[in-house]
Order: sequence, then structure tokens, then C-alpha cells
Amino acid sequence: MNEGRDDVRATYDRIATHFAATREHPWPEVETFVADADPAGAGLDLGCGNCRHAELLAERADRVLAVDLSRGLLETGRDRAGERGFGIDPIQADASALPIASRAVNLATYVATLHHLPSRAARIGSLDELARALAPGGRALVSVWATTHDKFANERGDEAGEEGFDTTVDWTLPDGTVVGRFYHIYAPAEFEADLAESSLAVEEVWTAKGNCYAVVTPEQKRP
Amino acid sequence: MKESLLEILCCPLDKHDLELEDAEYEENEVVSGTLICTECGERYPIEDGIPNLLPPDMREGTPA
Repeated sequence: MNEGRDDVRATYDRIATHFAATREHPWPEVETFVADADPAGAGLDLGCGNCRHAELLAERADRVLAVDLSRGLLETGRDRAGERGFGIDPIQADASALPIASRAVNLATYVATLHHLPSRAARIGSLDELARALAPGGRALVSVWATTHDKFANERGDEAGEEGFDTTVDWTLPDGTVVGRFYHIYAPAEFEADLAESSLAVEEVWTAKGNCYAVVTPEQKRP
Repeated sequence: MKESLLEILCCPLDKHDLELEDAEYEENEVVSGTLICTECGERYPIEDGIPNLLPPDMREGTPA
């Protein structure tokens, strides 16, 4: 299982600087989610990349845990935080094995990252880890690439995009070098099924602009 | 790494507390050292101020 993630990490380490420079602005969906949130003790940006969403969380949370598999991306995030004057705690970790204490996080974003995990077991395990890390009353925004994205119109087996699939999405560096990244592209119904299988409770789930989104909380019935 | 982060971090494997060893500081931040699980004894390095808390089987091939 780890081969897939090691590849994703190696790729992001390799493309980190160029990737971060092309990921300047936060997503409007994340801006809305964070703007609506109550002030939080601990924020978590899981799969933080260049920390553009950690930057938003820093306006709401006393401290922001910036977690990524790629050390190269964490360094771009630390640079951005320094340049723009917001605080982060950068942590190199795997989204399926979070080194974060249970119930420590009040507000989290998990954006465009879950789809890089190589198996359904790893993806559901990661959602379980998010549920474990969230404090009672804590909330998170999760997003993944969806089969409804225009990019996959020719790849999906059926017109309605009802089946999720694994694929490789190329990244082209400025020198023309092409590097592939593993993705699992989610069918909207499959995204809902994986959330239901996990220990997260779903507050709201929707699909927009080729992405599936969910606002989630830790299940109250957990022991 | 701020030392107060220890209150939030845990071992990625068994979720037990971590202890900081051999810490070197610059301006109140830990720039290098080792985080050790109080239960399983697994050791996690802090490299240039960033804790590497990948599970050991994913740490292979990490650039130094």
C-alpha cells in the first residue's frame, strides 16, 4: 500500500515549488466554511500544501496544525506563513496515521487530498482518523475530485459519472518534464458511501464545479 | 517546532504521548531533536524545525 503514497510524496517533493506557485488563492468554498466558523482553539489543515487554507484557518484558530506528506510542500507553506505573517505548526505525516491527539482539533480543512490515498481502506481509515482528531463540536470541510469534473469526461466509463476510478494526472514542470500523480476520482454517491462507512457524521454534502464537498463532525455516539 | 505542540502530537502508530529528547533550540523553537513514543519507543526525528511523524515504513526514502 505504501508504494502508492511514497510515489505521491516523491512527486510532490519534486514539483513543490512550481505547484505552490500555481496554488496562490484559497478556494471560495473553503473561504465560506472558515468565515462561518466559530473561533477555534486548534485548527488543522490536512494536506496543507502551500498553506493557502491554513492561512484562512489562522484567522479563526489560536494555532493551526499544517500537515502534509511532502516535506517540500511543507517548506513552501512555512515560507508563505513567514512572508504573510501568519502562524503555523508544520508537521510531516500520513493522513491515514495522524500523529494528532484524539479530540484535539476544533476546525479542520481536508481539501483535495483524500483522493491521493491509494485504496478505499486507506481513504476510510483517514476519514476515521479525522473523526478521532476532532473535538466534540468540531467541524471539518472535506473535498475530493469528482467524476463530474470536465477533465474526466473522456475517462469515465459511463456518462453520468456513477463509477469512481483510479487514474494518473500529469503535472508538467516549467522545463517540460511531466510527472504523474495518483488520484482516485470519486463518484458523488461513492463519496457519500465512504463518509457513511467512516466514524464521521455528515452535516452537509454537495457536488460543485467538479468536486465533492462535505461538512462533517465527529459522531456523537462514539465511546 | 514550538514545544507546546507536544501537548497535541501523539505517536502515529499507537496514539500515545511523545517525549522530546536531544532538543536544540533557536529563538524558543525546537530546530532539531527526537520525539519518542512513551509506549512503543518508536523514534521520530525533528528535521530543520519540522517533526517527521510518518510511520517508520513510510520514512524510507525521505530526503535527508
